[in-house]
Amino acid sequence: MQKHLLTMRVNGEQVELAVRPNATLLDVLREDLELTGVKEGCSEGACGACAVLMNNEPIRSCLTLALEANGAEILTIEGLATGGRLHPLQEAFVEQGAVQCGFCTPGMILSSKALLDRNPQPNDEDIKTALAGSFCRCTGYAKILEAVRAARDGDVGNEGS
Amino acid sequence: MPDDDYKLIGKSVPRIDARAKVTGEALFTADLKFPRMLVAKVLRSPHAHARILNVDTSRAEKLRGVHAVVTGKDTAGEKWGVFRYTRDQQLLCVDKARYLGDEVAAVAAVDEETAEEALKLIFVDYEPLPAVFDFWSAVAPDAPRIHDEYPRNINVEVKIEVGLVDEAFRNCRLVREDTFLAEEDSYFMSEPYAVVANCHADGSVEIWMPNASPHTKAKALSNALRLPLSQVNVRKITIGGAFGGRSDVFPAEFICSLLSIKTQRPVKLVYTREENTIATRMGHAMLTTHKTGVDKNGKVLARESICWLDGGAYSSTGPIATSVPFLCHEQAYNVPNVRFYGYRIYTNKPVRGMIRIHGRSFACGVDTQLDMIGEELGIDPVTMRLVNARRPGETTPTGSHVASCGLVECIEQTAEQSNFLAKFKKSVPNRGIGMGVNSVQTGFPLGIRGGSQAFIKFHEDGGATVISGVVDNGQGNDNMLVQIAAEELGLPMSEIRLISADTESTPTDAGSYSMISTFGGGNAVKRAAEDARAQLFEVASEMLEADPEDLVARDRKIFVRGAPDAGVPLPKVVRQALLLGRPIMGRGAFNPDVDQRREWIGNPSGQLSQAFSFGATVAEVEVDPETGQVKALDVTCAQDCGFALNPLIVEGQFEGSVAMGGQGGMLAEEHRWHNGHCLNPTMLEYKIPTIKEMPRIKPIIVETIDPGGPYGAKEAGMSVAMSSAQAYCCAVGHALGIYFNHYPLTPERIRDAIERKQESKGIKTAWDIEPARIIPPEPKS
Repeated sequence: MQKHLLTMRVNGEQVELAVRPNATLLDVLREDLELTGVKEGCSEGACGACAVLMNNEPIRSCLTLALEANGAEILTIEGLATGGRLHPLQEAFVEQGAVQCGFCTPGMILSSKALLDRNPQPNDEDIKTALAGSFCRCTGYAKILEAVRAARDGDVGNEGS
Repeated sequence: MPDDDYKLIGKSVPRIDARAKVTGEALFTADLKFPRMLVAKVLRSPHAHARILNVDTSRAEKLRGVHAVVTGKDTAGEKWGVFRYTRDQQLLCVDKARYLGDEVAAVAAVDEETAEEALKLIFVDYEPLPAVFDFWSAVAPDAPRIHDEYPRNINVEVKIEVGLVDEAFRNCRLVREDTFLAEEDSYFMSEPYAVVANCHADGSVEIWMPNASPHTKAKALSNALRLPLSQVNVRKITIGGAFGGRSDVFPAEFICSLLSIKTQRPVKLVYTREENTIATRMGHAMLTTHKTGVDKNGKVLARESICWLDGGAYSSTGPIATSVPFLCHEQAYNVPNVRFYGYRIYTNKPVRGMIRIHGRSFACGVDTQLDMIGEELGIDPVTMRLVNARRPGETTPTGSHVASCGLVECIEQTAEQSNFLAKFKKSVPNRGIGMGVNSVQTGFPLGIRGGSQAFIKFHEDGGATVISGVVDNGQGNDNMLVQIAAEELGLPMSEIRLISADTESTPTDAGSYSMISTFGGGNAVKRAAEDARAQLFEVASEMLEADPEDLVARDRKIFVRGAPDAGVPLPKVVRQALLLGRPIMGRGAFNPDVDQRREWIGNPSGQLSQAFSFGATVAEVEVDPETGQVKALDVTCAQDCGFALNPLIVEGQFEGSVAMGGQGGMLAEEHRWHNGHCLNPTMLEYKIPTIKEMPRIKPIIVETIDPGGPYGAKEAGMSVAMSSAQAYCCAVGHALGIYFNHYPLTPERIRDAIERKQESKGIKTAWDIEPARIIPPEPKS
């Protein structure tokens, strides 16, 4: 199968690579770019573990062809912390106990980031709607909700206190 | 009482593994990549039951990019079984396929597409055989046998009788018999199953996979591959949830290892979501008939329970799975006279294991029936449960002493905080409230692998490394071990490293099933830390000219109690010990005090577990009778976890338990079937709860300080998972005035029950289900 040139910005860096037309964005991020923080949970767009941000909107990378990302800005979980400093949402997930097995965590955090960027003061219903496409089997979602609230309220950075 | 002076224990400190998980740095099995790594794929039986006459792999082997093909001929003939007497599964089918999806062959190729193409070039000659798909037809006298040695497809039979059951029934004021049925449920852990095997020139194999006991996996692989145990090294890896579904040994790790040995290259096998569902484990379908007799106060005097479990094609944890639903309830409620018949029955369906709410029909049946009896006698549900609740110091019918038990507190506190009685009595249309009660074990008699050991070594700067066999499935075991070691050594958690769950470098541990990790592994690490601290104090006592007995380790210092300013820094003590040739090497071991003569089938009597957790959950729901939809409003859950080592983590376990046990487990989760085909193996069709449906959850931690647990801790969350299912069930029933006996309570079932209710009178269950009966022994031929 003939490969096509794909150009995109991933975590702030310009990327150029040849991909097969049937490759998913998930495949390219995980296999070619070795960004394994993008998780494959169901391969059919149900679980949200593969969520990444494309032009600041959460998308399911397992259902997105890599070539659809041509020219786009992609953010994966690896690109969220800057200079070793966690993003407030990452801090909040750690501090509020929102992380158990951690498999859903990258997708949860990225979907939450898209929400807070779009709506800095979401209410509980807004948060739940933004995360309705992400399955977590461990937490019962209670501490995830608390973590997003804490990030919204700037109530982060209390680790270890 | 807990020591208020604890620096870390009992505190909600963030988990040590969380940072790696929020940055994407944490590696799960499917994330591993090695040079020259091949990709494996498995060919599965398209028949539910078939004889395998021939497997022709020649064309597949010739395909460019294919490096190896394996079939049943490549097995060493070792069958897998959790017990010596339940070894019934070839890790690649040899003569027969017994369920739709059974592993028949596998390939290793340069990439996934080549591997998939190669599967199409393997030609298998099957002779399809008649199959059975439910327990009723499987136990019929003329049913096809799935395993030749098991007449009527009865895989496991457990019989327990304690007290004078028939006499007690005669003395009862009221005796009821009701039947309860639950369909199969599934784990749907976030991470699909995956294995990476890497064979080395010295003949050893390294293996990574999600697991609940690295040592169990290694031993099984060592048997199946005929390799010494030291050559089979199961490595530590981040694990994306287990819930009971990673406890057993699967063909995947055997196949992957075999392919790696054959090709002398690393091989990766990643299961699809569908394979994770059908080819690892799922929950049992279960039929339970309870006959319960009470006195005029609602005190249960006798109970006979007969259970049929649909076990699927192989034994798995069969004897344990058959017994545990009964055992949980002999713990939870004090019933002096009990009789239990449990039958695990083979069918031509995927293999069943233990799940977080294993025994839905048994547990929901117990509480539903208590509510029915209560209605008949005019006794409210809270009183019914309090009258029968287990108390500390008692002994269960099969002989387990219950050292600590806060069940009465759990019942009272959930009832009070939910305002149960007022809401139960005040009838608001389509609103309901219900309570569930349950109890689980912390460990079983597991022979040589029932205990846990740990080592602690020190770095020259005073930091330490803990070495423990405990595995973390996502629940926070790694953090638990480090939090305990840090408390005992007076070090910050950040200065303690952990090596765990690696069979080459860490000692034996019981595994994270049976809720033993905190009790067993936590105690072992605590003892290792105490041992290391005693060695530190010996050296420090010379430096401080003080009695070791008077010393305290805290904040990286060792000092005489009450005089922290005159202390000596811990790193200095570590270095002094090196100089003196007395390096600090802590070791600790813990074996739970259980009766090793106890056996699931042969001798179900004696101390089962050293400690038991107890829980009560109250659910409040609103039902739309037009659609059958249930909205859960509030859930109040309490568990006696002994002592909460880290309340933040304990609460998280409770909340997750409500989601899986009650919200999903009682309202939605079930598999649907057609001739052995699972119709909903993926997340699109099998409905697990999302954040949208979750109710408000109020977790209540009850502490009883178990005399054997580390700092008094037992286990966190399982009693809530189980009692949540019962609470939801009773709450939906209360909302509609219906006693439900077929689970889960999907909108279809609720609508059906509402329609049937119009016709029925009296206190009875929603459906007439054929009861589970005693299966008479097969006459000797």
